[in-house]
Amino acid sequence: MRLAPEPAQVAPGLGRTPAGPRWARLALAAGLASPFLVALLALGLGYYPIPVVDVARSLLSAAVPAAADGVPEVARLLVLEVRLPRVLAALLIGAALAVTGVVFQGIFTNPLVDSNLLGVTSGAGFGAALALLLGGGTVWVQAAAFGFGLLAVTLAFLGSRLYRTAPMIVLTLMGILVGSLFGSLTSLLKYVADPLDALPAITFWLLGGLTGVGWGDVPALLTLTGVGAAFFFLVRWRLNVLSLGDAEATALGMRPLHMKFGLIVVATLMTAIAVSVGGVIGWVGLVVPHAARIVVGPDHRRLVPMSLALGATFLLLIDTVSRTLLPSEVPLGVLTGLIGVPILVVLLRRNRTGW
Amino acid sequence: MARLTASGIEFAYVAGKPVVQDVSVAVDAGEVVFLLGHNGSGKSSLLGCLAGVHRPSSGQVLLDGEDVHAMSAPARARRLGMIPQLHVAAFAYDVLEVVLMGRAPHLGTFEAPGPEDEAIALDALALVGLTDFRNRRYTELSGGERQLVMVARGLAQRCDVLLMDEPDAHLDPRNQFRVLEVVSDLARQRGLAVVIASHAPNSALMFADRVLLLRHGRTLAMGGVNQTLDEERLTAAYGMPTEVVTKVVAGRRVPRAILPRRIDRVADEVDTIAVHRADVERPGTLLDRVFAAGARRPQRLIVTGARGTGKSLWCAAVAETARARGLRVAGVSSPAVIEGGRKTAIDLVDLGTGQRRRLAEVRRADEPGTATQRWRFAENALAWGNEVLRAAAEAPGVDLLLVDELGPLEFVRGEGFTEGLAAVDARHYAVALAVVRPALVDEALRRWPDAVVVDVED
Repeated sequence: MRLAPEPAQVAPGLGRTPAGPRWARLALAAGLASPFLVALLALGLGYYPIPVVDVARSLLSAAVPAAADGVPEVARLLVLEVRLPRVLAALLIGAALAVTGVVFQGIFTNPLVDSNLLGVTSGAGFGAALALLLGGGTVWVQAAAFGFGLLAVTLAFLGSRLYRTAPMIVLTLMGILVGSLFGSLTSLLKYVADPLDALPAITFWLLGGLTGVGWGDVPALLTLTGVGAAFFFLVRWRLNVLSLGDAEATALGMRPLHMKFGLIVVATLMTAIAVSVGGVIGWVGLVVPHAARIVVGPDHRRLVPMSLALGATFLLLIDTVSRTLLPSEVPLGVLTGLIGVPILVVLLRRNRTGW
Repeated sequence: MARLTASGIEFAYVAGKPVVQDVSVAVDAGEVVFLLGHNGSGKSSLLGCLAGVHRPSSGQVLLDGEDVHAMSAPARARRLGMIPQLHVAAFAYDVLEVVLMGRAPHLGTFEAPGPEDEAIALDALALVGLTDFRNRRYTELSGGERQLVMVARGLAQRCDVLLMDEPDAHLDPRNQFRVLEVVSDLARQRGLAVVIASHAPNSALMFADRVLLLRHGRTLAMGGVNQTLDEERLTAAYGMPTEVVTKVVAGRRVPRAILPRRIDRVADEVDTIAVHRADVERPGTLLDRVFAAGARRPQRLIVTGARGTGKSLWCAAVAETARARGLRVAGVSSPAVIEGGRKTAIDLVDLGTGQRRRLAEVRRADEPGTATQRWRFAENALAWGNEVLRAAAEAPGVDLLLVDELGPLEFVRGEGFTEGLAAVDARHYAVALAVVRPALVDEALRRWPDAVVVDVED
């Protein structure tokens, strides 16, 4: 004799996925389209407004030169040479920070972390500050930021090898320690920096921003973000299994530590390149994953593409606001916090039960 | 050959400090085996070895003759399902998504489950009776339902062996029962071999075919539930005096419940005199103590003690000494008749006259109609016993009245010596002794609320 299953005691709609499958698919489609639509609008906005049609024709002219006939040359140049690289950078950095946030939250089974957990951003900040203090050019600053970002995570990894019993917990602890260490070192650099020259440069860089981003920044950003995003997209269902925790993943025939190591390496490379181009931009990796979960649920099969798209859209919107609406550019890291924190508070309030 | 065979398993987290030593266990298809033992006895570690998660430092685990630790992780997970202890998930996946994860070992790293996997997952949900829950959030289910979802996930793995780590932990009794019943049904119906590590010996009584009793990482006992879980072994396994309450089912006495023995709880509220088995050698002092206790108001003594502590022997010594001192003794005792080392019958003795009759005989195994009872009572003997007790109750000048022994027949079913006992209860004696087993002391105290308990110890 078997006891009959209990009847579902939850009212329809409650306790179900925030969206039924069809609704979720629609929301996913809308989310995936959003970066392209917002980009089209953002390319037209600025001190010199350009109609959407001209933006589209300018973009087309890259492939078909005749498409730009009748579009003012200055508009075409603004779109293709000035605004497009910045818009692309915003899209790529936003996507990278958001999707790495999703991945870190999944593999650390903690919805309140982002890819800076292991100290990559703190390391990168120190590297950039060091290069700025030594008077290095943009290339040096980016290289140093990228390099020290990777160094910080490597140190956290090496530190975690000292204790083998609970690898993920020790790794988290080491990441926090390494992050604090580089934070202190950055403060030290700021303390000794020339207050008229190097200090403002360091402060400005640490607050994040895309001013002065050009085509030269795009290839590395595009390559690493593209490869990383593709990798995460391919393993997106495995992230579901990993997010149950090591014991469960092992029981299901996975080797969670191997897989997590690979995911952390890829996420760290993505975050490091994003930070080296855009500076320290917080909150994207926290706010966007939560927003994406509310729309499509916790299943990484939908969450990974959705967070890529929403992250891109979110950062582009904020960068466009910073670039066009405000009298002088407000640093991105400040705006993401000012806008992101209230959004996160609302999301957490609405999303009381499940993450 | 058994489906899953572990032999000579030794395992240590820290070299030189093995937590499992020389443990062997075999599980057949369709069989439920419980691993029982105290905290830190090595249950979970052994389960980890069986699951291929822990590599034993010696011994091997064979699944259909194939070394579990030589298989690749996905290949192992296709045949061995492991359900770790229940934990709170960080993300609110739908129930169906959680069950689908059981397909992981069947899919490549870059693959996602397809419609076929979904059909398998839905089948698995149906088998645990949770089809209607497929779109519910896993985190919003009750503990029992979540555990059943985990079972469904194990089924979606399409494994032959299911290993469960404390599936009954944190569940209310109904959900414990529900989960274990579903699992044991699945074992029988689908030929699943099931191993369950548990802290609930009573769950094992109900659902296990066999048990492995572990103590400090070593095998204390292994075998069928009814033979293995006795008071002595359980007391050793848990380091706690343990009582096994038994019941006659289909003519055989089987354990029904395992309880901690708390005779001292009774002692807190009731007058108790502790008597040692060796006191039988000094019946004089014994009698003095009894009468000293009996001189107090109640004049009723309940003699108890675990099986084999010699409570009947003790009573017989008291009665004999009393008689030797010229006191008048009445009542009944029921000595066992031992033939060829086996208890074959019980006699009934009138302590006043020394008359002896056969009270009951053990039924032969081949005897027809041996449906419910191990003993065949002689009807006239029971009637005679009641008559003896009534006569003793009514006779003048009885100093010591003894009834050995009273059991569930009297306390629960109102049969046996109930009639005679009523006559005894109507009168007062200098001392009346009633012998009962520990499980019935509470029952006896309900009948004689101010009796003194005589606790005979080894």
